[in-house]
Amino acid sequence: MKPEEIRRKINKIDREMLVLLQERMGLALRSKKFKETHSDSAQENDLLARVERLNLDLIESSFTRQLLKTIVQETKRLQDENRSLAAFQGEHGAYGEVAARQLVPKGAYIPCLEFIDVFRGVEEGYFDLGVVPVENSLEGAVTQVNDLLTTTDLKVIGEVKVAVNHCLLATETTDYRDIRQVFSHPQALAQCRNFLMRNKLEPRPYYDTAGAAKMLARENPRAAAAIASSLCAELYDLEIIKESIEDGPSNSTRFLLLAREPHPNNGDKTSIIFAVPHEAGRLYAVLRLFADAEINLTRIASMPLRSDPGNYSFFLDFEGSEKDAKVAGVLKQMEGLTKWVKYLGSYPVDKTA
Amino acid sequence: MKNLKLVSQETEQRTVVKVCGVEIGRDFVVIAGPCSVESEKQLLETARAVKAAGADMLRGGAFKPRTSPYDFQGLGIQGLKILEKAKQETGLPIVTEVVDPRDVSWVAEFADVLQIGTRNMQNFSLLKEVGRAGRPVLLKRGMHSTLVEWLNCAEYILSEGNPDVILCERGIRTFETYTRNTLDLSAVPAIKELSHLPIIIDPTHSTGRLSLIASMSMAAVAAGADGMIIEVHHKPEEALCDADQALTPDIFSSIMKRLRPLKSFLNNLPSEAPTTR
Repeated sequence: MKPEEIRRKINKIDREMLVLLQERMGLALRSKKFKETHSDSAQENDLLARVERLNLDLIESSFTRQLLKTIVQETKRLQDENRSLAAFQGEHGAYGEVAARQLVPKGAYIPCLEFIDVFRGVEEGYFDLGVVPVENSLEGAVTQVNDLLTTTDLKVIGEVKVAVNHCLLATETTDYRDIRQVFSHPQALAQCRNFLMRNKLEPRPYYDTAGAAKMLARENPRAAAAIASSLCAELYDLEIIKESIEDGPSNSTRFLLLAREPHPNNGDKTSIIFAVPHEAGRLYAVLRLFADAEINLTRIASMPLRSDPGNYSFFLDFEGSEKDAKVAGVLKQMEGLTKWVKYLGSYPVDKTA
Repeated sequence: MKNLKLVSQETEQRTVVKVCGVEIGRDFVVIAGPCSVESEKQLLETARAVKAAGADMLRGGAFKPRTSPYDFQGLGIQGLKILEKAKQETGLPIVTEVVDPRDVSWVAEFADVLQIGTRNMQNFSLLKEVGRAGRPVLLKRGMHSTLVEWLNCAEYILSEGNPDVILCERGIRTFETYTRNTLDLSAVPAIKELSHLPIIIDPTHSTGRLSLIASMSMAAVAAGADGMIIEVHHKPEEALCDADQALTPDIFSSIMKRLRPLKSFLNNLPSEAPTTR
């Protein structure tokens, strides 16, 4: 091995060590939510005993003890900071994390495998907050999340619009000319469809954008690249071949912040879901309430009802808070015109949008 | 000429190649910039300077076809990213050379016009590839090529479905050694009668001498060329290639100040008598 390669490998390992340490800190914060407390020293001794059996002869046991002590100390300090645990779907570097970082500054960002894990985790108290995407400017509604919103008890307490700039990422050793397949979430691949076609690249669906970047960095498959955020390039030590490869000019995804309790203050925007009887004019009757009260709608989307095939639920976002008299009035009137209404929450508008 | 079906097609209007609002084939278009992209600082400074002097487009090489393998080969994709940055800042569309057919689709992502260098004029697989790239092509004449050979190469590109070809006369090899090449100005009116494609001049690589560039630039305007591509470097003494021929921003600016009024003057002259019988 040449000296540059040795140096490169060492740098890679150092980065991975820190990334793993970050993961460990995240897990430690999550364990705080549970009532049982393990004795730290018992765990430590157990670990040291197991490590000794590994025969890591280049790492002295006194050094290991010292290292673990330092890590545990820092973990305790971090736990005492009382950061909010904000869960998002995907791996570290996913756009959900980008949104979570904006919605919950100085939080701890916990990756979840599925959207349902985010919802259940917050509902059951394992996380404090959840960040989920509802809509993308090119692809439309994120159906899984909208579906989960109809059945959850969580409240929406915030929103943020994240500019999605897809980057083509590859490992340092990959020659861009050799790239034949590109891994990413199906939505991201669809948003970059023309770019892929122009460069004769084969899309390979993967469960998550950041997950694809992570896999690329770890396994370094031949002739491969990933589409993910520029944050992933930094996190996973990948080269950005090209930024902003999406087909549409301004691609953004709207994320909602979910919590167990509603927003304490007067929000300036409200989200509800409702269903109307399947008769002519019923939807119009509801929308007319808003028109007559001069309440400005900001989003309306329909979704097929799982419980009632052939029928739809309507997602409605509008300006105003449920604490406003005219909004409260409309919501009251809606009760008579709808099969059901679900009030998701009133929250501050994303001013950066 | 019967093989030049597309290039010599009888059309009512000459081809005008549109690049981000710049129309090549209408007025006199000036493409200026360094021979190669050497660093972000170098390119951005040069780009700002040429823009201030009135250039319409920016040139800069990321892939360089150097005669010697030990000479600077270009920054590659890094160079393309720097060019993109310069476009974002100055608004100037980008012209850059592509050498390898495998690079064509990638360069097309970053640049607005793909340049085929003189040494690659008859690289037929490269010509076919740029024909399919969906971007305008700047086709330089081969240094030993006849006009007909040159137009046949343009025909390769057009036959792939790409109508946007700009021809560039950059000097041909003769026995003369004082100049690097011999600028064939007669190619301008000759091409205009053989084809509807626009033709520009490269006064830098043709003469290879700083002192001759200004005169040949004016000559290009007088000959009726649709534009010129010219080398400008913010610090020519530090350039990694063509250090002897690159203009400083000041000299470029002075040429532009003479060139634009000349064009206006020529536009207002009485029309030429037709020579075709």
